[in-house]
Amino acid sequence: MGALDRLQSLGNQLSSAVGTGGKAKILEKNPDDIVVTACLRTAITKGGKGQFKDTPAADLMAGALTAIIQRSGINPSLVEDIAVGTVLAPGGGATEMRAAALVAGFPETTAVRTLNRQCSSGLQACVDVANQIRTGMIEVGIGAGVESMSTQYGPGAVTEFSDLLENHSEAANCKVPMGVLSEAMAKDRGVSRASQDAFAAASFQKAVKAQADGLFKEEIVPLKVKFEDPKSGETKEIVVDRDDGIRDGVTAESLGKIRAAFAKDGSIHAGNASQVSDGAAAVLLMKRSTAEKLGQTIIGKFVAASIVGVKPLLMGIGPWKAIPKVFELTGITKDDVDIYEINEAFASQCLWCANELGIPQEKINPKGGAIAFGHPLGCTGARQVSTLLYELKRRGQQVGVTSMCVGTGMGMAAVWVAE
Amino acid sequence: MASMLELRTPGFNPCSVKYSPYYDSRLAVAASANYGIVGNGRLFCLGLSAAGVQIEKAFDTNDALYDLAWSEINENQLVVACGDGSIKLFDLGVNDFPVMNFHEHKRETFSVCWNPITKDTFISSSWDGTVKIWSPTRHESLKTLPIGCCTYSTAFSPSNPAIISAVSSDSHIRIFDLRTPVSAKYHLITMIPVHAPPSGPTLPRLADGRTYAGGMPAEILTHDWNKYNDTVIATGGVDRLIRTFDIRNPTGGPLAVMAGHEYAVKRVAWSPHASDILVSASYDMTVRVWSDDSSSVPAAPGTIRTGAEIGLMNRHTEFATGVDWCLFGSGGWVASVGWDERVLLWDAHGLLRR
Repeated sequence: MGALDRLQSLGNQLSSAVGTGGKAKILEKNPDDIVVTACLRTAITKGGKGQFKDTPAADLMAGALTAIIQRSGINPSLVEDIAVGTVLAPGGGATEMRAAALVAGFPETTAVRTLNRQCSSGLQACVDVANQIRTGMIEVGIGAGVESMSTQYGPGAVTEFSDLLENHSEAANCKVPMGVLSEAMAKDRGVSRASQDAFAAASFQKAVKAQADGLFKEEIVPLKVKFEDPKSGETKEIVVDRDDGIRDGVTAESLGKIRAAFAKDGSIHAGNASQVSDGAAAVLLMKRSTAEKLGQTIIGKFVAASIVGVKPLLMGIGPWKAIPKVFELTGITKDDVDIYEINEAFASQCLWCANELGIPQEKINPKGGAIAFGHPLGCTGARQVSTLLYELKRRGQQVGVTSMCVGTGMGMAAVWVAE
Repeated sequence: MASMLELRTPGFNPCSVKYSPYYDSRLAVAASANYGIVGNGRLFCLGLSAAGVQIEKAFDTNDALYDLAWSEINENQLVVACGDGSIKLFDLGVNDFPVMNFHEHKRETFSVCWNPITKDTFISSSWDGTVKIWSPTRHESLKTLPIGCCTYSTAFSPSNPAIISAVSSDSHIRIFDLRTPVSAKYHLITMIPVHAPPSGPTLPRLADGRTYAGGMPAEILTHDWNKYNDTVIATGGVDRLIRTFDIRNPTGGPLAVMAGHEYAVKRVAWSPHASDILVSASYDMTVRVWSDDSSSVPAAPGTIRTGAEIGLMNRHTEFATGVDWCLFGSGGWVASVGWDERVLLWDAHGLLRR
């Protein structure tokens, strides 16, 4: 008998666009939509030798957070929570990310937390913040992701398995290295070396073209960092504003010459797998009504997300299961989607998922993917949001999906609408 | 449109209108302040005279009013469905207060219907997921029929006093027969999934050639029994479609599907004067008159009629929420109400296209 119940009931009677299908429904603009009013990323650079090799993860995050305040013009005291996806940081990176937010100009009233769902951490951070806003826990929040694989990638990333875990066969599979299990999966699912190399070469070529055309300009925010020149040993300040992993002239043939990394007769090598990289990304989220009240420019809307589990040894098939589930949640079909950003952990798994789902090549990663410019683990999910929304907008298209496979056998996907 | 009578209900947004079964000059409107979301309700009793339509009596209630039903046994009495879950029986000869108050529903009462055959009972449906059967002389309900989800509308069969129908937010029509033993099913004899296509190996085609594959389940907001074919029910709801069903064939899919409304259908009412005519009121602010085509040639096997929209009344400037046919006269007078705080009385013949 509450007024709010009555209002919501009436709203449901009006908004259910059953007759016109799912796409019309997700394109609707309602005051309680969760919208993106700013999204950006740093450049993504090569692990160990790239331009961010001497920049800790927290510094990258502080840079991205500073930039999102500047770009959106939001009063930082209005941001109530920041979730940062990060995978490799000891202690979850909780302490240094809180510190990074303070450095970036957020007051002590802005809460910060980190989370780790492996390669989907950045997306999970955005989804968590969106859900916090949806339930009314907070009004304005930031979903972010960061990884400094240069400084934090190594054998310490996984604790040693106990006997209990080791003696459970499926549990023990969780620690099989990504490359090894992806090799097995490529063999099992019959993804040929040639098709992987062709897919990887296309990723490089698309990224080269996108970079040359300046298509990353809008999403990348330049960062001034310290860099130790490996030749002279001299430390200097440089401005990093472009992805340095993108190589020109890569073809399926040139990739075909590289020796397989995980098995003698294998198909996976450094050229058709994601690069080890450093980078950070952030997405500013709030309700549409809040954005309008604050005069924020709405660039897109978060519609829904899905999470699924698959066999640990088949972790690469995650998107194949997660994407149909998010379609079910939103009532749209694969043809309603204009662009798919599917993380290229390995050419083999990305290609297999796309083929199984029947997604045409030209809709997948139109500006290239992790094979060409890298996969800073925790950053990727948040990075995809700006890559996707700016490209949708440039093309005058609307519906996009971001998705990735997740280590230990999971998949995640989300539907976004550019406005 | 040739002639139209208009009455304003300032400060109150009508939700339902019903003609008296006794007089051609009497009708009543259930209305609420603030669109029925929060605030009082007011029952308007209207009279028609040479001077037009006038308010003859009004009763105020503490919560919103969503529906009303005239007594079939006393021409001066009527019941209203109240937002606090109560049902109130008003008498035009008694000022201000209801003569009876029936309060068992735990949430909003959404509809009331008086038994047209035995005339000694009425029923109500509620957001609490029940239909209750009442005697106007007893404060406690005679029987409760469980539905399990928000039930927007319930009605008696026009030909059998023991048969009760209900439609609800779960996209189903339920038919109860009080002559059956209570057993585990509480008199439930039939459930019709409104959104589903007919069972069977092949999907039927609509009269316009398209395949009818049903749709997603959607809340049903209203229904009405055909006054001539006592097994035919029309439904309307959130999916914007009006459908007719034969309750003898619960898995056979709809007899007719009528598309046209651009938002949810809030109310449907079959004509008391012709077996194939019904009228509907919608959140799209229109009131439309339809023929279900059942009077023309029978539908070919495997096809579903699409009916025909034979008239559209677009004078309401807010959600059209209620509509009813006058039982008397040449047959065609309709009363419609909407959130625009207006009651409009008009002759449907004036806008028929055929």
